[in-house]
Amino acid sequence: MLTPSLPAPTATKPRQPPAPRTLTAGERWRLRAPLLPALVFAIALTQVPFLLTLYYSVQSQNLLRPGSKEFVGLANYGKVFTDELFRNAVFNTVTLTASTVILSMLLGIGLAVLLDKKFLGRSVVRTLLITPFLVMPAAAALLWKTSMFNPVFGLVNWMLSPFGVDNVDWASRYPMPAIVGVLVWQWTPFMMLIVLAGLQSQSPEVLEAAKVDGANAWQTFRRVTLPHLRQFIELAILLGSIFIVQTFDAIFMITQGGPGQATTNLPYFIYQQAFRAFDVGEAAAAGVIVVVATITIAMVALRVISNLFTEESA
Amino acid sequence: MTAVLPRRRPAAAYRRARGSTGFLEWVAIHSIALALGLMFLLPLVFVCLTAVMSDRQALTAELWPRQWQWANFVTVFEKAPLLTYLGNSLLYSGVATAGMLVSSVPAAYALARLRWRGRNLAFLAVVAAMMLPPQVVAVPLYLLWARLDLTGTVWPLVIPYLLGDFFSIFLLRQFFLTIPRDYVDAARADGCSEAGVLLRVIVPMARPGIAAAALFSFLYTWNDYFGPLLYTAERPESWTLSVALASFRGMHRVEWNLTMAATVLVMLPALVLFLVAQKTFVKGITFTGVKG
Repeated sequence: MLTPSLPAPTATKPRQPPAPRTLTAGERWRLRAPLLPALVFAIALTQVPFLLTLYYSVQSQNLLRPGSKEFVGLANYGKVFTDELFRNAVFNTVTLTASTVILSMLLGIGLAVLLDKKFLGRSVVRTLLITPFLVMPAAAALLWKTSMFNPVFGLVNWMLSPFGVDNVDWASRYPMPAIVGVLVWQWTPFMMLIVLAGLQSQSPEVLEAAKVDGANAWQTFRRVTLPHLRQFIELAILLGSIFIVQTFDAIFMITQGGPGQATTNLPYFIYQQAFRAFDVGEAAAAGVIVVVATITIAMVALRVISNLFTEESA
Repeated sequence: MTAVLPRRRPAAAYRRARGSTGFLEWVAIHSIALALGLMFLLPLVFVCLTAVMSDRQALTAELWPRQWQWANFVTVFEKAPLLTYLGNSLLYSGVATAGMLVSSVPAAYALARLRWRGRNLAFLAVVAAMMLPPQVVAVPLYLLWARLDLTGTVWPLVIPYLLGDFFSIFLLRQFFLTIPRDYVDAARADGCSEAGVLLRVIVPMARPGIAAAALFSFLYTWNDYFGPLLYTAERPESWTLSVALASFRGMHRVEWNLTMAATVLVMLPALVLFLVAQKTFVKGITFTGVKG
């Protein structure tokens, strides 16, 4: 019924009919000529930063030593791969992104299912639930750091005090869960919005039919609703991951990548390499590795996810 | 395409679904919704309450304001040049969003509906660039802007949008793909130029997608902290609201309650804009990835 849409380039494989034969190649070129150069220019120009990064990744350059620039081939990549701090940053990025995406997606599905039911004040609740997504991340980080995680007057400790939690400094004792908590708070509304759109696009007839066939609520959800939601969930995961991998504000403002290197993710690692250690070459090489890895994972993961779903619903 | 539009379910189906356990289910749903909602809203409620507290009470564990100081929202304007920051933020978000539309809509069209050699490669490049953390390219770009003597202004943030934005190109391309090819082919057969097809066929049909992309880029630039921090931190009169807010307490010796008042004020524009355009946004985003 619905075709899966992958961000992978394979999705662009032309399944369209061949071009209209009414025009000759020359005529077609005349028609598109005023447009195409501008487009190629626009696309090429947006790639300048990436090309510059590629260029810097094969140079050895330290901003503290002017004139130190020289071509070193793949040496920067070798340095990055053997750098323990880089591996630590990769590990942290995967942990951070995966836990945030999974938790916020589960919560988002839960909230969307609730909001799909009719109840008093539903639209007000929905509107309010979206708010965390709209709060400026820098402001959210500030707010969580000072008023939520503060060991003395923080709201988190206050809420957990009936359970015997007392004066815990969340940001330094449990830095990773703290950051994940902030990000889940910010991203759940986004996941919820997209899943909700999926739920509301279900046809009531299909749900009715499932009921007539004697399926209970859980079976209906699992066999009918979930397969229908698949694409919406994939889309939300994809868009969410793109932004969550790039998380910088929360880490910069709440933990500064610490304590030690406990919450240093790749963007923060690259920032440190470039703006604290001024090692532009290694920062650029790390950046290129990030891009290649992200694309590979996005392609593989989405394939795997869609395969899983098709087998389950078969 | 219509499958994605929200559809009202007949009330009768609901009543039948509830049956005898209806009341318990109703109570359960309401309490769970209430609890989850509160969990997500508590931090924001806290911000709003602190914003109207007295300076002395703000740093205590007391949650409810003893006296409601609405004047905080006025005082905060006296303590810091908020209007300047607001102007900078509007300049950044407004010009960047407008520029994104001019530059990215044609580029997305070229990727979606024009056939040319290297199109798939160009699309892969867009996806790659989209996933590149901004910190990666910050150094080469900073050196470039410093040479042009533009650091300390918002222009290094705005100009790239005038040249095209990867995420918007990606979103718009996905949306344009949902527009049936026949419309494009028909216009072409009538002798319409590609620019004409884009302006007269694609743009009117893709309005929700374009609106969603514009909203996304407005939100992203409005909330952006890293970019303004990098380029405007050196000159406080170029600060955007995000940078100003993050360094509020240290720079202006502003009290905690006033910082929260500023936070509320900064949140409002994005909130209002989103609530107005909420439906379009959701429709645009979901259409983009889910072709019906």
